[in-house]
Amino acid sequence: MITKAKHTIMNVRILSKFWSSMSLRNRIAFYYTIVTSFLTAFVFLTIYFMVESIVYKQFDQEINTEVSEIFSNAHIRKNDFTDFSQFRNHIDDRKVLNSDDGHEDKEPAKVDTEFIQLVNISGKVINKSRNLSRNELKFNTTLPATSYFNDSINGSSIRQAQFPLLNKKGIIQGYIIVAVPLKNAMIVLNDLLTIFLFSYPVIIITLFILTRLIAGKSIRPIEKVIATAEKMTQVNLHQRISLPLNHDELYRLSATINALLDRMQDAFQREKQFTADASHELKTPLAVVKGTLEVLVRKPREQEHYETRIQFCLKELDRMSRLIDQLLMLARFESNRINPHINTVKLSDALENIMVRMRPIALEKAISFNVVGIRETNVAADPSMLEIILENILSNAIKYSPSGSTVTIHVESKERTIMCSISDQGIGIPEEKLHSVFERFYRVDESRSSSTGGFGLGLSIVKRLADLQKIKVSVNSIKDKGTTFGLTFPTS
Amino acid sequence: MRLLIIEDEPGIAGFLKDGLEEEYFAVDIAYDGKTGLDLAMTNEYDLIIIDWMIPALSGIEVCRQVRKSGSVVPIMFLTAKDTLEDVVFGLDAGANDYIKKPFAFEELLARIRVQLRNVNQSDDTLSSGLVTINPVTHQVFCSSSEITLTPKEFALLEYLVRNKNKVCTRSRIIEHVWDIHFDSDTSVIDVYITFLRRKLENAGCGNLIQTIRGVGYIVRES
Repeated sequence: MITKAKHTIMNVRILSKFWSSMSLRNRIAFYYTIVTSFLTAFVFLTIYFMVESIVYKQFDQEINTEVSEIFSNAHIRKNDFTDFSQFRNHIDDRKVLNSDDGHEDKEPAKVDTEFIQLVNISGKVINKSRNLSRNELKFNTTLPATSYFNDSINGSSIRQAQFPLLNKKGIIQGYIIVAVPLKNAMIVLNDLLTIFLFSYPVIIITLFILTRLIAGKSIRPIEKVIATAEKMTQVNLHQRISLPLNHDELYRLSATINALLDRMQDAFQREKQFTADASHELKTPLAVVKGTLEVLVRKPREQEHYETRIQFCLKELDRMSRLIDQLLMLARFESNRINPHINTVKLSDALENIMVRMRPIALEKAISFNVVGIRETNVAADPSMLEIILENILSNAIKYSPSGSTVTIHVESKERTIMCSISDQGIGIPEEKLHSVFERFYRVDESRSSSTGGFGLGLSIVKRLADLQKIKVSVNSIKDKGTTFGLTFPTS
Repeated sequence: MRLLIIEDEPGIAGFLKDGLEEEYFAVDIAYDGKTGLDLAMTNEYDLIIIDWMIPALSGIEVCRQVRKSGSVVPIMFLTAKDTLEDVVFGLDAGANDYIKKPFAFEELLARIRVQLRNVNQSDDTLSSGLVTINPVTHQVFCSSSEITLTPKEFALLEYLVRNKNKVCTRSRIIEHVWDIHFDSDTSVIDVYITFLRRKLENAGCGNLIQTIRGVGYIVRES
């Protein structure tokens, strides 16, 4: 018992494994063939039974005609039967006469056309047509009074009917059984059945093969998608799936995958750029410090020489620690775990604080601040984050401004929002590079010269912090005229 | 030996100049690609060190242009770009060597010596007749006795011995032993030659340097 159960389980497993490893084209062909085989079987069976019933109806009608002929010949009404002797000369008159009568030789077929048999109520044969010779038509008492059915006599099929013979009181006195041979009809029906039985598997197999072909053809683009996707690696993301001609689901699938690849390639590219930039920004000061100190200790030198070189190294280390601070800040803000503590902040106070802090650097370049627009206004922001944002934008404005120019800070109320813009009169940013300025480590100067000071992280920090506080950051620039950064605060 | 360094980071350019000059190299510095390319095309350098990411013209482009002009001067990349593709790309652009930042100064020196080594030279030692020069330790020997030279004297002797059996014109000597800030008065060479000859003679290697009148000097393998 147990082994049998195990066997069954194993069979099921093998089957399910086979099923799950089946290719899509085979599966489609399989489903299609199953459905079609049921449908075809249904159609075939319907046709067969319809033909059969039509044929039988024909025979039944013939039998009916025959019976009524016999009744009329014997002058009997159906419900007025008295005695079997009534039939004596009529049951076989035609048949027997026909067979005996040489004149009727022209119609020999008629000889065995109908079989007639009379039975009494207990089923005993009273009389029968001569063409039955020693055979008897089967009489079935269990059937309803008038009924038609198939039987065989001497090995050949017949259609047979039994009619009750009633007396005036309506009591059954006996039966008259009439049968006609089915020979030709049976041949037709058997042929039909044979055709159906043979054509059925042929149709099903042909259908399976054709469906498999068509399915294979229609899913061929999927194979292409797979082949392309297999060729792709992290370093080789530039391949794209060729789009099929028809704008169908496969077209959409291919287009979607291509769009996904575009985004992935973009992300990888940005990641690569970020690593390259971070490595450059971190390694350069490291190389400077390392090299300077190495050269310094190669030979004994004067005190002053040591001091200038070590001071220089310290400055480089300061720069490095500033970069690490910014990188960590960015990493913290990007990890999304930081929640801004939004408060009502007096924008003018925040601006004043930053300007005081920036004044020494601004004075070095003789840059003046010009504050215009509304003075007293409150915005919803995280005070410390707002400070970082303003500091970064303002220090950028100073950094890229020519000596003696003005940095304008403009605060205005626009459609229930507060807009603060900071404009410089600096070198400006080329339009094609404008969209990149918020990217990490992005610098308009591609050589990443340290002489202008920055790392290219300030604006990405600004963007990130602004996003956290739902402040919109915008940038406009005209080359050699200046750049304007705008902060749009949400309504509090 | 005269080197050109194209590097926009003043810190790196600074210590390279300091350290290499202490190693008796004449060092010129360009802070951007354009100036660097101009210098490389107009002067004869024994080696060029280029940073990849520099303003005006990228290091790769400078390297390509130098090679396009037919120059075979050894070029070394000195850069923070450190991926395999970057190294391969840099070397394929025509560079002879590639050093990643941060690097050890001693390694840089050793790699510079490799680039200056002649094809048939087994180690860094140079010699002609009885004189042997060790560019690593900056020592000069006549037979087995050491001669003490000043850095400029050493650089001059090293250049002549490196180019032995070839006439070294005054202008070439100026180009390879002094840096760009030196004015064009070549009579300073004669002064140094006199010093050198005296020191060599004292050690017993008097006839090493010969004068080619009106042209320059030559060291002949006897």
